[in-house]
Amino acid sequence: MSGAMDYALWIPVLPIVAFPIILFLGNVFKGTDLWRGKWKEGGIIATVVIGTCLGLSIWLIVGYIGQVTGNESVGQIGDWLSFHMVENGNLVSYSIGFGMYLDHVSVMLLFVASFLCFLIAIFSLGYMNSDPVNLDRNHRFYAEFLLFCAGMLGMVLADNFLWLFIFWEIMGLCSYLLIGFYYERPSAAYAAKKAFLTTRVGDVFLLIGLLILWNLFGSLDFSVVWAEDNIAAVDAGTLKIALFMMFVGAVGKSAQFPLHVWLPDAMEGPTPVSALIHAATMVNAGLYLVARMFPFFASPAMEGEFTDLAILIAWIGGITAFMAALIAFVQRDIKKVLAYSTMSQLAYIFTGLGAALWFANTGHEEIALLAFGASMFHLFNHAMAKGMLFMASGSVIHEMHHAHHEVSHHGSSESAERDAGVGAAGVDHAAHGGHEDHDHFDAQDMSNMGGLASKMPITATAMAVGSASIIGIPLIGGFWSKEGIVGAAWQASLTPGGAWMLVPAVLVLITAGMTGFYMSRMWFMTFAGKPKTPVANGVVEQTPFIPIPLVTLTVMTLGGVVFAGFEFIHWVADGDAEMHFTNVLSGIGVELKHAFLPSGEENGALIYLVTMLTIVISTIVGPAIAMALYGGRLAKGEKAKPWLAWLVSLSSRVRRKNHFDNSTWAESGLADSLHQRLYFDAWYDAAMLKIVVPFANACAWFDQHIIDGAIKGLEYGSQEGSSVIRRLTTGSGRDYIMMVALGTLAIFVLIWGVA
Amino acid sequence: MSSAGVLEVAEVTRVQLFSEGGDTWLALAPEVTLLSGLVLLFIVPNLGDAKWRIPLTQVRFPVLFGGRRFTATSDPRLPAMLAIATLLLALWQALISQGADAKTWLLTSGSGAEANILLRVDAFSRIFEIMFYAALLLAAVASIDRLPARRAGSDIQQLIDNRRQVDFYLLLLMTAFGMSIVTMSMDLFVLFIGLEIASLSIYVLVAFHKETPEGAEGGVKYFIVGAVSSAVALYGISLLYLWNGNLQLLSNSATGQIGLVERWSEMESLVGLPLIAFCFVLVGFAFKVSAAPFHFAAPDAYSGASSTVAGILATASKAMGFIGLIRILVMLAAPADGSAVWMFGLGVIAVVTMTWGNLAALSSSNPKRMLAYSSIAHAGYMLAALAALGAWAWGGENDVLNSAPTDAGQWILTALIFHLVVLVAFKLGAFLVLALLETEGEVSDTAPLAGLARRDPIVAVSMFIFMLALAGVPPLAGFMSKFLLISGVVKMSAGDAFAAIAAGDGWSLGQMHWTFWLALAVFLNSALSLFYYLRIGVIMFFEVPSEGRRKPLNKAWFLRLSIWACAIGTVIFGVWSDHLINLCHNAALAVL
Repeated sequence: MSGAMDYALWIPVLPIVAFPIILFLGNVFKGTDLWRGKWKEGGIIATVVIGTCLGLSIWLIVGYIGQVTGNESVGQIGDWLSFHMVENGNLVSYSIGFGMYLDHVSVMLLFVASFLCFLIAIFSLGYMNSDPVNLDRNHRFYAEFLLFCAGMLGMVLADNFLWLFIFWEIMGLCSYLLIGFYYERPSAAYAAKKAFLTTRVGDVFLLIGLLILWNLFGSLDFSVVWAEDNIAAVDAGTLKIALFMMFVGAVGKSAQFPLHVWLPDAMEGPTPVSALIHAATMVNAGLYLVARMFPFFASPAMEGEFTDLAILIAWIGGITAFMAALIAFVQRDIKKVLAYSTMSQLAYIFTGLGAALWFANTGHEEIALLAFGASMFHLFNHAMAKGMLFMASGSVIHEMHHAHHEVSHHGSSESAERDAGVGAAGVDHAAHGGHEDHDHFDAQDMSNMGGLASKMPITATAMAVGSASIIGIPLIGGFWSKEGIVGAAWQASLTPGGAWMLVPAVLVLITAGMTGFYMSRMWFMTFAGKPKTPVANGVVEQTPFIPIPLVTLTVMTLGGVVFAGFEFIHWVADGDAEMHFTNVLSGIGVELKHAFLPSGEENGALIYLVTMLTIVISTIVGPAIAMALYGGRLAKGEKAKPWLAWLVSLSSRVRRKNHFDNSTWAESGLADSLHQRLYFDAWYDAAMLKIVVPFANACAWFDQHIIDGAIKGLEYGSQEGSSVIRRLTTGSGRDYIMMVALGTLAIFVLIWGVA
Repeated sequence: MSSAGVLEVAEVTRVQLFSEGGDTWLALAPEVTLLSGLVLLFIVPNLGDAKWRIPLTQVRFPVLFGGRRFTATSDPRLPAMLAIATLLLALWQALISQGADAKTWLLTSGSGAEANILLRVDAFSRIFEIMFYAALLLAAVASIDRLPARRAGSDIQQLIDNRRQVDFYLLLLMTAFGMSIVTMSMDLFVLFIGLEIASLSIYVLVAFHKETPEGAEGGVKYFIVGAVSSAVALYGISLLYLWNGNLQLLSNSATGQIGLVERWSEMESLVGLPLIAFCFVLVGFAFKVSAAPFHFAAPDAYSGASSTVAGILATASKAMGFIGLIRILVMLAAPADGSAVWMFGLGVIAVVTMTWGNLAALSSSNPKRMLAYSSIAHAGYMLAALAALGAWAWGGENDVLNSAPTDAGQWILTALIFHLVVLVAFKLGAFLVLALLETEGEVSDTAPLAGLARRDPIVAVSMFIFMLALAGVPPLAGFMSKFLLISGVVKMSAGDAFAAIAAGDGWSLGQMHWTFWLALAVFLNSALSLFYYLRIGVIMFFEVPSEGRRKPLNKAWFLRLSIWACAIGTVIFGVWSDHLINLCHNAALAVL
């Protein structure tokens, strides 16, 4: 353990060190064959560095799980800042160190982050480097990617809130840079700005919250602020304000209502970025922050003080989950569907955490831990599944793009010849030319796809398994955790005093069914039926590197059952619990019993009913409607893999049985408003125009006239003085000697005057 | 200082100059090296196959002087190599003498009742020797490319350059020798001799490019104004001799002679004669550090001289002036109760100097003049620190933060020495970049700098580092030195109030000594100076190179080597400055 801990610092430091190196090398060797070919424009360096981080993380994690005790905090590796402050007339010295803090939650997130970073780095080798648009600027991508990884890993390992915040901001910066990777597109530049500014709103609140926390505790170290005695000593009302502020920060980072507007636009970034930052890791930072508030809620001294805050968290979660799922119904862009799905699933976790915090604050420790564990497990499952889904969607988009190029080049043999003649140097140009030629074709639009199940077997499988996990098909990944969340929300609403929890509880229940619909819709639109465009007909799964992460994550997601068997939920919530590696089967049995049998607790029967209802609507009703609307047989002669073929044929059978006309729905005002994302963006724009812009104008006036005026005055004065001095400097030696004489006189006067 | 300039004999080794035993040679090793180098520079290019025939016989002895020159010794590149080797050896000797067993020597003339204390070799003189040799070494290395010598020169400029190689490097070594004497001198007359050896060499160096009118004009003006100042200073020194009967600073316990320091401190009230003399001497050194209003000739000299020489003017020559100021202000005329008579006058001069320098730099379009004015402004900052030193109640303890150097006076002097030393890195470095540009033509406006980043990013980044260091931006050396200076002045002006503040008793401006405002003036002037330093950055990075200056810069590897050394030094002395600060602290302790 201690061995690994000694090297743990390198986990965030390595990528930080490597990122400028890639930038530098990239700028020096840009365009050379070696750099483009062997080095993958820095991709190899990034992959090796992240691979090393993953290795170190696993070493750390294995060592950590091997030891039984609860938390490991490598105190302070070193003092980072130390300063003195005068307080009540005394000089008090403070210091802020940098250390590592490990408990079950951070261990889990460390694994998620390093594992996904590594897989997505491999994915990028295929995705980014084979696209001529990215040629000669991939080093920028990999450098920013590494910096992001450093931010995420550092945030997970930080042992105090200040470092957590610093790394949090590093991630925000990288998110901004990577969304705007194609900064020449106005939409990407806009999306980057929007994401940055929206999350900034949350970050300001977070900073205020942390400052209040500092004021209360005189420290931001986890070990200090979580200490029972320290919590008991502070004012509950002030602490609640701090926690609320921190929660707003989490809302911004995790794209929850009402700060959710940036996430769908963030899909302008390259797909690996969407997979890593906007699905699998960074957006979990908000959840992690809320999870880190657990000790405050669980403190006996604060019992009953924060119930309203917990309910607020659950409400925000429920509303976002429902709203995002609703908008996802009408999205045709495959990445946008996934973006809203991400929002919705994160909202699930918020609801679960809200319930967990509520239970913790009302003294129901056992069930609080259960809800907390379920939320964390959902985070784990969702990260794995959503990372995979995004990569699979990237695979689809990439191959669609490729096929589109093929098709359009066959269309004009002239340009093909030109390309062949110009050779490698002309590829870039040709690619850009190609883009201009047929910009109207949208490779991300699902209505251009269809029937890909046979053409992209690996991607289709990955997508199916990922969707199943998100939907919560029994026994697969997300099922184990979603049950827990829905159950916990209902349990809370049925507990005395928890009536307010009923709304989120109902919302998450309904959303479960909606999830079943929109995820299935996405799969069937993309993979089932006949190809809707000639481009989709020409798709071939061929890009190297992309299948590696897809297969790995498919196995991971299917293996969710094994993790469930480890009693992961119990383990992650309880710092003193052990991982049950040995009795996987009995562990699965316990979890199955939890999921499918009524528990003996209070309201057990009702909870049982709710969970059963969840299973039914999410597994059967939702997908069935999707099948009826979007299912269909593949084109003649196309054969999907057997494990997909039954799904496709089932969908076509369902569709034939139910002729289900949804045109009235599709043309209704609701659908229209969903297309407009429920007008949030419009409202925000209007509010900006009414409030922020006038204020900004006032600030600009102040800046221009008062501040600049003062500076200009100073500048003017300096210029005047300067010209006076220039006139005194005549350039004549005689005058210089006169000046020496005057100076001597001046010295005499000054010194005699004093003496 | 409480012992009024009588050093405890136990600390120092007293040596009679050129007496038996090797002590003289050990103490003066770098100077001996320089002299040997000088002699070699005289001899080697003149070696030839001349023979002398014994009269009335046919026997001929080779005498080696004159005749047909040997090809190896008449190589025009040889003087540069000799000078560099000499300076390197001297630098090395000065450096190793800084080790743990660093000795202090007191060198006297003659023996018995006539012996005068002439030189003192201690940490103070050593650090300045190192600084001078380093600066001159960098300049000498850079001059290989700035003043190129080639075996087969064809054009007239080449022939001219080849013929004056010996002169140039000879003058460089002379400068180094004179400066060494100034650092060590314990006798005002010796100090003056050293000052003049160095100054006269520099006057010639300034006017070295006599084929350009600016060079000749600048050199002559600098010489004339310098001669006037020296004359005034010499007059002051002669008055001091009239007053005391000798010009030694320290009292000589062996002979019973009373030095100037002791005599000054024994004055009951200020006497006219020494005070007049003091003012005159002050004028001489004020010219050397180019304090206003004695600075007028400096910008002309800087812009007329080649940039390497201007770099020496701005660093080594300036440091020489400050050594003189430290000797007469801190050693000689500083009373123990913190009410030095020169404090106010020097403060006024300091503020005028820094403001004048910055304002004039704002509107100069010639980068060499701009750097000259910037160097005047820096002199102002250092004069402000010296003025604050006048408020020091000697030996008073203001130790609050418990860090070395503990005492405000030591702090300021340490900062001053540190500033003078690290100035070599970035001020000389900036001039060397201009020298690199000069290799392709005159630098009289900002056009050669335009778009430098595109032509040569490394040189442009180095120049930008120098500019930032001059402006005092962390983490560069210029920040460290300015920070030490300002905090030293503030510490000094806080005086006893420090303890009260630390105890939490509150603080008001009224408790501060008026020297606090000097710190504020330095601060405001630094802010003002940012404008013209950063403008260089704008010109280099954002403007388009002018016509005819599109190609990559000259290779000039030796010049680049010096620039890199300066850039690295600027960064290193900013980040890892502890060791150098310790050396400077030792040097400061040797004076106080």
